[in-house]
Amino acid sequence: MILCLMIAFVWAYSHLGLRGEDLHPSSGGLKVLGEFAARALTPALTSEADFVPEGTRPLLYIALSSARTTLFFAAAGMSLGLFLGIVLGFFSSTSWWAGDFGGVRRSSPSRILGRVLFPVLYGGSRVIINLMRSTHEVLWAVLFLTAFGLSNTAAVLAIAIPYGGTLAKIFSEMVDETTREPAHALRGAGASGLQTYSFALVPQALPDMIGYSFYRFECALRSSAILGFFGFPTLGLFIRQSFSSLNYGEVWTFLYVLLGMVLIFDWWSGAVRRRLAP
Amino acid sequence: MKGTSLELDGVSVQYGNTTALEAVSLSISAGERVGLVGPSGSGKTTLLRLLNGSVLPDQGDVHVSGSPLYTLSRTDLRRVRASIGFVYQDHRLVPNLQVSQNVIAGQLGRVSLLKSLRMMLFPSRVMVEKAHEILCRVGIGEKLFERTDHLSGGQQQRVAIARALFQEPQVLLADEPVSSVDPARAKDAVELLTRISREENLTLVMSLHNLDLAREYCERLIGLRRGRIVFDEPTSSIQESHFSELYRIGEGEMLADGA
Repeated sequence: MILCLMIAFVWAYSHLGLRGEDLHPSSGGLKVLGEFAARALTPALTSEADFVPEGTRPLLYIALSSARTTLFFAAAGMSLGLFLGIVLGFFSSTSWWAGDFGGVRRSSPSRILGRVLFPVLYGGSRVIINLMRSTHEVLWAVLFLTAFGLSNTAAVLAIAIPYGGTLAKIFSEMVDETTREPAHALRGAGASGLQTYSFALVPQALPDMIGYSFYRFECALRSSAILGFFGFPTLGLFIRQSFSSLNYGEVWTFLYVLLGMVLIFDWWSGAVRRRLAP
Repeated sequence: MKGTSLELDGVSVQYGNTTALEAVSLSISAGERVGLVGPSGSGKTTLLRLLNGSVLPDQGDVHVSGSPLYTLSRTDLRRVRASIGFVYQDHRLVPNLQVSQNVIAGQLGRVSLLKSLRMMLFPSRVMVEKAHEILCRVGIGEKLFERTDHLSGGQQQRVAIARALFQEPQVLLADEPVSSVDPARAKDAVELLTRISREENLTLVMSLHNLDLAREYCERLIGLRRGRIVFDEPTSSIQESHFSELYRIGEGEMLADGA
């Protein structure tokens, strides 16, 4: 395993011809980087544009309202993604039908379910979540923009689909990897596979599932910001505009707002996790 | 009628190359209190797990209340299992649920999925009161709404017993109810199980390491050694020599390790 990784690394390294001197940039580029970095401690509080048309909203208003839009896109994408993740996660987990211990010896309809239908559902749902996951949200966005134009639904779907796939994969693995003993105990007391899944396996996985969902929400905030590069009015749109107008102070303002949102979520998820911890 | 008879008929169980039980036949009548004794790895746990259908025999049949366990339909098997309470050595509770939820989960075998959702998330007053009553009976009524993993090992064992009782079982099976609690509590657990089975006229089968406890609380003892029954007699006729036979280390025999 480790050997394979090392071979892969050396191969990729030599194939790409990575060399340190490649990183020597032009003097102009370094100057831009320097100017940009210099503004880190002095973000703009008002617009830095040379000409501000009448009726333009103040910079801080733009920063906060685009932060709100970013949050809305992330929340809408994430809630649809959570729904997809829970439904597909259920079908992508094996613990509610496989590995039933003991029991019926003769053939019966339920055996056909266990041997044919459930494995097919499982395989199908695995293929679907891998298709959803393997394409990055930015590529989904390109696809949906081409299909539907600049609609909010396109942006939300672009987040929901890859996130739903990832959540389904992680949720199903978290549930399948929990301790099975309590489930076996309930099974031994006559509970069905779905009952043990719902009341013995999911409850044990729930704290991790919630923690992971918070983390994905943070990721969704960043993805939502990036979608602004395509013209959606999230933080990314204004970051790109300010950057191309060389108003680096404004760029920092927007970046700090994004950072603030992520930090708030991080703090919130920490608080929730502490409550759920043993 | 309360209590259920249990019967093993020429049962053999193999785990890979290891024989856990070999040609075991026995019959336990309704309301009997039986102790399984023998060194670890002698097949006590396997025997208990056969009785609620969580282990499939390679040969032979298991009958619960006269019906052969392994040819039952799924629904009938659920019904039989619902009438058998099992107290596991490691309790097997869901650690991050409330005590009340773990106890109420004992009745899952009797209800549909929809009804069980209601029961587990929004239990009726009657259900909670019943759970509380059973918890009081096992001596931890005040722990009703605590998180299960906040309880001590001995208290968790009582939750496990309460869960089994909430099933309203006909049979109680207990696997080493003394091994996971401290010695002072060990006797309490065995006494509790015996008292309840006597009050409710339940069939009780428990495996016990501790021979003194087995002799004190069971009316019949079954000695197992290397997957075979060595003796099966009323406690009154058990002699010291029975036990020494059980724990004798045979010629060229390694100490059995837990299987």
